[in-house]
Amino acid sequence: MFKIIFVIIFLVCSKLVYAGPFSDFKAGAGLSEELASSPTERRNKPNSDSIVQSREYLDPKNSEVWNDLQNELLGENANVFFVDDIKLIMQDYIEEAHKVPLIVTLPKRLQNFNKFILLIENNPIQQVISLKPYRAIEALGMNVRLEDDSPIRAAVLDNEGNWHVGSKMVFVASAGGCSTPACDPAIEVCKVGIVGKIAVKEYKREAGAQRIKLKITHPMETGFVVDLEGEVIPEYFIKKIHVDDKDGPIADIATYAALSSDPVILLDLPEKGQSVRVRVMDSHGLEFFSYKKDNSM
Amino acid sequence: MQYCRNIAFFLVLFNSFQAFSESIYNINPIEVSKDVYVFIGDVNNVNNINGGAISNTGFIIGETSILVIDAGPSYLYASKVIEIIKSYSSLPIKHLIVTHHHPDHSFGISKFIEIKAEIIMSQPETHMYLKYGNRLLRQVKNLIGDDWFIGTNIVKFENSNQKFPLNLDLGGRKVSIELFSQGHSEGDLLIKDMLSNTIFAGDLVFNERAPTVPHANINNWNKYISKLMKSNWNLLVPGHGELIKIKEKLILTKQWINYIDKVAKQAVLNGTSPAEIFNEGIPASLRKYKLAKETWIRDLPLLINKYEFE
Repeated sequence: MFKIIFVIIFLVCSKLVYAGPFSDFKAGAGLSEELASSPTERRNKPNSDSIVQSREYLDPKNSEVWNDLQNELLGENANVFFVDDIKLIMQDYIEEAHKVPLIVTLPKRLQNFNKFILLIENNPIQQVISLKPYRAIEALGMNVRLEDDSPIRAAVLDNEGNWHVGSKMVFVASAGGCSTPACDPAIEVCKVGIVGKIAVKEYKREAGAQRIKLKITHPMETGFVVDLEGEVIPEYFIKKIHVDDKDGPIADIATYAALSSDPVILLDLPEKGQSVRVRVMDSHGLEFFSYKKDNSM
Repeated sequence: MQYCRNIAFFLVLFNSFQAFSESIYNINPIEVSKDVYVFIGDVNNVNNINGGAISNTGFIIGETSILVIDAGPSYLYASKVIEIIKSYSSLPIKHLIVTHHHPDHSFGISKFIEIKAEIIMSQPETHMYLKYGNRLLRQVKNLIGDDWFIGTNIVKFENSNQKFPLNLDLGGRKVSIELFSQGHSEGDLLIKDMLSNTIFAGDLVFNERAPTVPHANINNWNKYISKLMKSNWNLLVPGHGELIKIKEKLILTKQWINYIDKVAKQAVLNGTSPAEIFNEGIPASLRKYKLAKETWIRDLPLLINKYEFE
């Protein structure tokens, strides 16, 4: 009987502790109803557990890697706020971890920002992109690789030098988005297709706003995949994407192999761009253009 | 007294835990017509209680041989099915029809090769089985553990001479096998038992469960279902879900595939990301299907990707 009381006391206490000192951390930010009804099959745990679990994982205090990541990528003495108005829109429960679509929407107060970084904590390659904008951006989208269950962090640097971080926890059913081949060399010949084909599409949104979507064919090798002979396939990925239009640059994006193969990048601008163009450079130094090179601006 | 109860509790807990960890398929066939049997698959997604046995399989007993429809999710499953069949009849299992390459229908193949049954499968689906089998096997192992897949291997077999429609005689019992190219998969086989007028439709038909579309050609699939609705049968065994006696039930498959197709095409037109569509939740009209959410989330990005930048 005593044991049961003990357990109850322990449970209550642990709840209180978790709600504790990280008062500005909005644990609820990344949790949706979706998660509540998504059993994590791999663990066969009841749904409510996954929520508690994900709250714990999401709290940077419980993260083994967040401090280092913050120091390395946001700066040693960075002023960091965990906020809930930067929304990460993506599935909570992921089956195919090689290509996971996600969108980050920014609140009005942060649409004119200085830098945007997307991080996947438990990936071997944690940084997905780092974007320097030249205009206001309302939302950014991309498809990413997930090695395992992980908190995802969208960090936005404002013009006063403060970082604002939105978070979301996702669970991966079939782990290994970074370390298993999207094509299986054990049973098929994995030919590298055309590299560097770029498609740019522009879509009208409400009130003159625009969405730019670009897709670049590229293997985006992570350097963690082993081929049939047991040889590591060397990393090979897109390093830089430059997006501009007739009025000048829109964004400079540094990209890493945590982006999926054939990456898709999506940018929502409040105003319509004029004939958007894309220039890409990969880790072999190859350059690709969505336009004819000689009439560059 | 308290102690006894505790011990009893742990015993129960321990036993139930063992039951899960032993990887045993608890399957029982139902006789839907004389000498025609069906194993109804679990309605849940693949988990470590059902061991991946989520699709309907079956067997037909003739006067000289037995025909099995679909190999099931693993070597162990196929072994269990064969063991059960032997308790009904001592006739040889001469044919295994694999309706398509998806793991829940094909991964028991290696067991049937062991007992020297002829494997009947369409060429494109055999190709897919060999091409993606090992990868899919790794995925299901990740999902529910290696134990369920002891003995399960992706193996080559000779089936290059099969022409469809294929008519087989099980002795006093004719069975016809028809090929439906580029529909639900690249080459689904449909089995019709003439004597009982029973159809095994494979995954061309899902009953009250979300159909899977990653390899589908939705236009053709639609036509195939219409054709099935017009044709004459007493009983239809869908790939997933309860047995079907009335044709109206086939509309459910149509409704789902047409809806997801429309949403995917619309998304491509508007530049919408799958992430945004998921954020809206599952459309109300689709919620009645079993596994609606899992299927919606898995299939929509694949479909959008297929139509995008085409």
